[in-house]
Amino acid sequence: MSRIGLAFKLFFQILFNSDVAQRAEKLSLPAPKEQEKKPEPPPPPPPPKPKPPRPDGIDALVLLATLQREARFLDLFQEDLSEYQDADIGAAVRDVQRDTKATLNRLFAISPVRTEEEGGPIQLPESFDASEIRLVGNVQNEKPAGGTLVHRGWKATKCDVPKFNGTLEQAQILNPAEVEV
Amino acid sequence: MAKFVIGVDLGTTNSVVAYSDLEAEQPVVQLLEIPQLVAASTIENRKSLPSFLYLATEADAEGGKLGLPWDESRSFATGEWARRQSADTPDRTVGGAKSWLSHHKVDRQGNILPWNAPEEVGKISPVEASKRYLQHLVSAWNEAHPEHAFADQAVVLTVPASFDASARELTHEAAIGAGFPADFTLLEEPQAAVYSWLGHMGEKWRKALKVGDKLLVCDVGGGTTDLTLITVEEEAGELVLKRMAVGNHLLVGGDNMDLALAFHVAELFKEKNVTLDPWQSVSLWHSCRAAKEQLLQEDGPDKHPVSILGRGSKLIAKTVSVDVQREPIKQMLLEGFFPACAAGDKPERGFVSGFQELGLPFESDPAVTRHLAEFLAQHSEKAGSAIHPTHVLFNGGVFKSEPFQTRLMDTIASWQPDLPPQRLEGDHDLDYAVARGAAFYGWQKEKGGIRIRGGTAQAYYVGIQTSGLAIPGAPRPLHLLNVVPIGMEEGTETDVPSAEVGLVVGETTKFRFFSSPIRKDDKPGQMIQRWDEAEISETDSLEASLPRDDKINEPYVPVTFHSKVTELGMLELWCVSSKTSGRWKLEFNVREED
Repeated sequence: MSRIGLAFKLFFQILFNSDVAQRAEKLSLPAPKEQEKKPEPPPPPPPPKPKPPRPDGIDALVLLATLQREARFLDLFQEDLSEYQDADIGAAVRDVQRDTKATLNRLFAISPVRTEEEGGPIQLPESFDASEIRLVGNVQNEKPAGGTLVHRGWKATKCDVPKFNGTLEQAQILNPAEVEV
Repeated sequence: MAKFVIGVDLGTTNSVVAYSDLEAEQPVVQLLEIPQLVAASTIENRKSLPSFLYLATEADAEGGKLGLPWDESRSFATGEWARRQSADTPDRTVGGAKSWLSHHKVDRQGNILPWNAPEEVGKISPVEASKRYLQHLVSAWNEAHPEHAFADQAVVLTVPASFDASARELTHEAAIGAGFPADFTLLEEPQAAVYSWLGHMGEKWRKALKVGDKLLVCDVGGGTTDLTLITVEEEAGELVLKRMAVGNHLLVGGDNMDLALAFHVAELFKEKNVTLDPWQSVSLWHSCRAAKEQLLQEDGPDKHPVSILGRGSKLIAKTVSVDVQREPIKQMLLEGFFPACAAGDKPERGFVSGFQELGLPFESDPAVTRHLAEFLAQHSEKAGSAIHPTHVLFNGGVFKSEPFQTRLMDTIASWQPDLPPQRLEGDHDLDYAVARGAAFYGWQKEKGGIRIRGGTAQAYYVGIQTSGLAIPGAPRPLHLLNVVPIGMEEGTETDVPSAEVGLVVGETTKFRFFSSPIRKDDKPGQMIQRWDEAEISETDSLEASLPRDDKINEPYVPVTFHSKVTELGMLELWCVSSKTSGRWKLEFNVREED
């Protein structure tokens, strides 16, 4: 078919047939662009350098060092108390206690498990967590509805022991020897 | 687009970062945990970063002992460990860098800190120290929010209201150097404390204050005291807050109080023939802070034991303690720092205080109440009627001691017996309000909400040497040309109408520069021939350098001044040539004056 014939045929089909008209319209639109290239995903970050595994127990050492640094904890507990009068001990303990308490609260946010007065009666829910509440005295298999609070208990509401980047040998130094020059 | 708004409080002794998610419905402001060294190789998260810097020895820096998660090989430490080192190795520890930023008598770009330390420790400048504290905060943020880099967030940094243009410029420079976004905003600290209160109160604040109220913000930080007065006005039926006045830069703060107490207690030890080494002095300082809060309580004990633990491992054997009596302490701290005084009293000048040796110009009169009396009196005089604050907002850890608040309230009440002020109702976070308030302000700025208006806190003047008959041996009289009025709003600029001055081509022209937080009525272009030194003080000089240019045939170019306060709160001064289209920016000269 000549192009003129085709053009006329299409002209009348477009004019009288809405279906063909729509198809023709699509044809005359600019060809859809190839889907825009997605930006290259950024290369995955290089795997972090494998750190030497943290030796077991290093957190415990760091905690001891922290208490010594902030509160002179070891200096107090390593001393032989038999040499001293109670008043002398009291003078030193006051400061160590204040700073130890502040440190423990900062690292562990320590709070009592129960807030009721010790020595008073408390209600117990039907099912309670045995790790939170320990029954003492005349304990039966059946869980009691209440009892007398003997000890309020303590719990850590967070655990933020400082991170240590050194070796186990370094962590074992709880307080370096100090030399004035 | 920023995801977070971040408020940074760069304090004299502690720095804090607060932030809020901009995509949340309401501003929920949180504090950033800041990892920092607390000992060699030991990193702990704290809510604040002590503004101290330890220039480590090579041995200390070896093997990455000063490493942080974002920088494993460092040669210095910032934060808690550095603060501790200030006791053991004072010559290697920088503290109080912020106080130095506003000290015009020294070169703040020069390597002068630690003050009086030997050169070999590698001293640094106050600007560099501030930059490193800020860098630490930026890195701590990026570590915690790797998806949302600090430089892409909306950031607000606070400065004392009393910081003048050059101190702000230096703070700005340190922040940009530390990786702050170029469009971060400066906010005055007392205003930040008010924003923190506004954030706590929500819409309820409109019930707590009414039109005509005057809110006094009394911000006593570790090293500085900042006074600001805010008025409540009405515009189109809405309450608006306007910052009316700020006080002078006062170098007296909570640290001075603890030091004064420590000094007193050290004397008590001396009576027992115990002399303290520097390490013990610092632990004494620490004990004294606790003792202060105990002893000053309303029904506190009559005496409080203060102990100095033995230096060596024999803790108990070498511990000595003294009983500190309540009365003398109350006397010393309340009467020394917050004495009752009359409304017409002025701070005593010329009295030599014990802090001179630190190199900083500490206030000779540490009485906050007398500085307050003078502040109110000066502004009353300018306003033409007495200014009676109706509400007081306290900020700073010092005010954890209730008697200081009470004494200040009682003293103001004695000045205005018919109209005793009241404490601003609601919760106040004395330690973190500034950072929190900065974040809340940033939120308001992005999302819309109540803003405190006020513009520049100070008026600025350029010193112009008058022409006239030269008298041999006598300098030509100096007149002051106002270039920025008090209250010039952010985002505005103005041509200063004046006679032309000449900039010498191919040379740097220096201008003496002055500021006043008091002279409210001076307008740009006004020339002042006589002034009171208590009203106007000289700050860092300005300079413009005019490069040699073939197009300029004259030996000098006549110019007038053009001033501008940017949207971000920075002041810019320009020299504009009336003949050519040339413009030259005036830069602060913060180097030491000869």
